[in-house]
Amino acid sequence: MKYMIMTFGSAEAGLEAMGRDWMLEMVQFMRALDKDLKDSGEWVDAQGLADGSQAKTVRFQNGIPVPTDGPFAEAKEALVGYWIVDVEDEERAIEIASKIVAFVKQPIEVRRVMDAPPDF
Amino acid sequence: MRELAPQVLGALVRRYGQFDACEDAVQEALLAAAQKWPAEGVPDNPRSWLTTVASRRLVDEWRSESARRRREETAAALELPVQSAPSDRDDTLTLLFLCCHPSLSAPSQLALTLRAVGGLTTAEIASAFLVPESTMAQRISRAKDRIRSAGATFTMPPASERGDRLRVVLQVLYLVFNEGYTSSSGPDLNRADLTAEAIRLARMLHELVPEEGEAAGLLALMLLTDARRAARTTAGGSIVPLDEQDRRLWNSNQIEEGVAILTRTLGRVPVGPYQMQAAIAAVHDEAPSAKDTDWPQILALYEVLERISPGPVVTLNRAVALAMVSGPRAGLALLGTLDGDGRMAHTHRLESVRGHLLEQAGDLVAARESYRKAARMTASIPEQRYLALRAAHLP
Repeated sequence: MKYMIMTFGSAEAGLEAMGRDWMLEMVQFMRALDKDLKDSGEWVDAQGLADGSQAKTVRFQNGIPVPTDGPFAEAKEALVGYWIVDVEDEERAIEIASKIVAFVKQPIEVRRVMDAPPDF
Repeated sequence: MRELAPQVLGALVRRYGQFDACEDAVQEALLAAAQKWPAEGVPDNPRSWLTTVASRRLVDEWRSESARRRREETAAALELPVQSAPSDRDDTLTLLFLCCHPSLSAPSQLALTLRAVGGLTTAEIASAFLVPESTMAQRISRAKDRIRSAGATFTMPPASERGDRLRVVLQVLYLVFNEGYTSSSGPDLNRADLTAEAIRLARMLHELVPEEGEAAGLLALMLLTDARRAARTTAGGSIVPLDEQDRRLWNSNQIEEGVAILTRTLGRVPVGPYQMQAAIAAVHDEAPSAKDTDWPQILALYEVLERISPGPVVTLNRAVALAMVSGPRAGLALLGTLDGDGRMAHTHRLESVRGHLLEQAGDLVAARESYRKAARMTASIPEQRYLALRAAHLP
């Protein structure tokens, strides 16, 4: 079963709060994590997203879709990046997320991808 | 060609030992055949062609220094007892047991079985499970490492373990079937092929162990369930529930075959859960219309199933049958016994069934609430749409 593991916040805030060494360590940590997930045959996809300040939000205004600058949610809650993993069960997805949380010390969201066969 | 895969692999492992290297070599031989045979024609003896090509790959591989070292390191662990003239039948069965080794996780068992026994390529398996090919390759390679480190060899499990090991094989084939048991439209086409592959492997297993009632039961269950495929979804991919399906679309050959297997099996061997589920599917399949369904018979079968293999999902299904026999309130009362059961906390099935029974009972407001709750809990998109629509149709 597949899960999406999502991190929120902003890269800039992370750099300010934690400093340069932490950022360098984080890059190494992320690389090692990606390698582990590939080696274990669980990696499906992982992407980092451009900072939320660069986002556009398309809104429905006066009967037409209108693009506006900035993310829909607060910048500090914007999606920063995600992994999609294909694992045996939810427990394993949470184990992977816990490794990331132990490093970034920020909450991480784990959500099931809707890939189940229907039950009928 | 693919039915030759386990036979060629069995012969190679028997000659050279080293299951993992042989498995890679057979995979390469199959790929070579897929490239050459369409253009050059199928050789007179395809099996010996594949064996020769795979042996050559294996020897080439072993000529490289690092591979030789690796071979020496693992030779001891993989030393095989010499067996006298084993049959293909035994080889294929041994291979199934090895690929479904209990030391492997379920996703690894599935992947390895599809490749080594099913003869599918890594790319095909990856595309069926919608993961990158490199991820699937790694999963298969890790599975083979784990089999080696668990000390498993290419030998038939001892008689004392055989029952348990067979149960794992059946479970793996059932999971493959379920993965494919989904709408046959658009990007899901690949997954539909998994259903055909599961049926092919279950048929093979049933022929290998005709005396095993549960292997027969699993094949019958797959045939009787898959027979409804064409009626199960609309052209747009929406789910059609059993009682609304156009039964003229059901595959009568598959139903006939499933019923025949079941008739040959039931009563002659100890009864098991797959046989019971197949028997229930057969009662549905043989009913000329939804309202002519023999619900007392289905209820009786669920009672037997619950005795031999109790669990909340069986109780849930029995509640549906009970509702059809004794009215929706009786079914709802039985469902109530599952409230608070931790095993049902993360599945939509309880609320989905409750929604249907409440709707039958005429309690439309509560039914809508149950459908909505179920729609939030399911991990299947077609099912979520079905439940949301079902809720939307109620006042």
